Amino acid sequence: MRVQPNLNFLVVDDFSTMRRIIKNLLHDLGYANVIEADDGNTALPLLREGNVDFLITDWNMPGMPGLELLKQVRADARLAKMPVLMLTAEAKREQIVEAVQAGVSGYVIKPFTAATLKEKIDKILAARAAA
Amino acid sequence: MTTPAQELTQYASWINAMSRALDDGDSDGFRAALAAFDQSRNAEVTQQVRRVATDLQGALERFRVDSRLMELAQRQVPDARHRLAYVLRLTDDAAHRTMDLVEQCCPLADQIAEQAERLILAQHADGSAPPLRPQMLAFLKQAGTSMAAVRSNLAEVLLAQGYQDLGGQIIRGVMTLVDELEQALGELVRIAGPVGDIGGGTNVAGTTRGQGPRVPGIDHGHAVSGQQDVDALLSDLGM
Repeated sequence: MRVQPNLNFLVVDDFSTMRRIIKNLLHDLGYANVIEADDGNTALPLLREGNVDFLITDWNMPGMPGLELLKQVRADARLAKMPVLMLTAEAKREQIVEAVQAGVSGYVIKPFTAATLKEKIDKILAARAAA
Repeated sequence: MTTPAQELTQYASWINAMSRALDDGDSDGFRAALAAFDQSRNAEVTQQVRRVATDLQGALERFRVDSRLMELAQRQVPDARHRLAYVLRLTDDAAHRTMDLVEQCCPLADQIAEQAERLILAQHADGSAPPLRPQMLAFLKQAGTSMAAVRSNLAEVLLAQGYQDLGGQIIRGVMTLVDELEQALGELVRIAGPVGDIGGGTNVAGTTRGQGPRVPGIDHGHAVSGQQDVDALLSDLGM
């Protein structure tokens, strides 16, 4: 899949180390435009500004957790079609089912590899392009 | 203490008295029998409450004299939370420091690979340039390959810092538990009253076993409120 370098990513995670890791990996994949937020409450206003093309979010965060953020995004007419990749240590089957039911576009379990991240992003973007 | 049979006999006598008074239309007699019945019930409840209060007081007394529990409640549990927070901060700093260095090394590796490639290309493009010695050419090619491997390893080092997030989430979970434990023990200490000397002979976490790295910001000055809280509670219970 050809990289679209102008895509704007929002990375949401309460741990600054993880945000930095994802940001670096995205840079290595050719995505230079990455902004960050530390939970759903700080992410939503950034999303509503309308400059984000792709959301990568953790699940377990103080304040608004990732699942709630996902639900809010899907409930907002202007954001409803936003690609949302959940990148989390939450690995229970029922949680993954819950995220899918809430409309998640992809789900990556921590710890993860750069190849997995790339594969999931490519897959989501390919599905979006085909839609 | 009355037996169940005696209790039934007592009830029967009051109920019979009330029934007789009702039959005779004797309202004063009925009220008197009812009052006697109420008084007996109240006395029983009071006796039970007194027993509970005495048990509670005994339990609090035992808690107060158990210096190990007091040490845990007042010092070690709060310390544990500070220690965990400190570990979280240390690992966060270490992960960021590692990533600082990785981010500094990546462009260096890229530069070396690019320069090696440029030299090889220039050699091919400029036929008039003096030819590179075979060892030199092999070195430039090797530099490109090695730097690609270094770059890939640096990406892995970066990814490995994810331990700080995973470990940190677990530590935060334990910190929440410690917070709850601290609150529960703190409440017990509060109602158990002031302590005398704590951390004496029963303190197994003393200096003999070592205390590990120094953790800044740990405050040992926890004050507890007085015996009056116990007295107030007993007073509330009617004692």
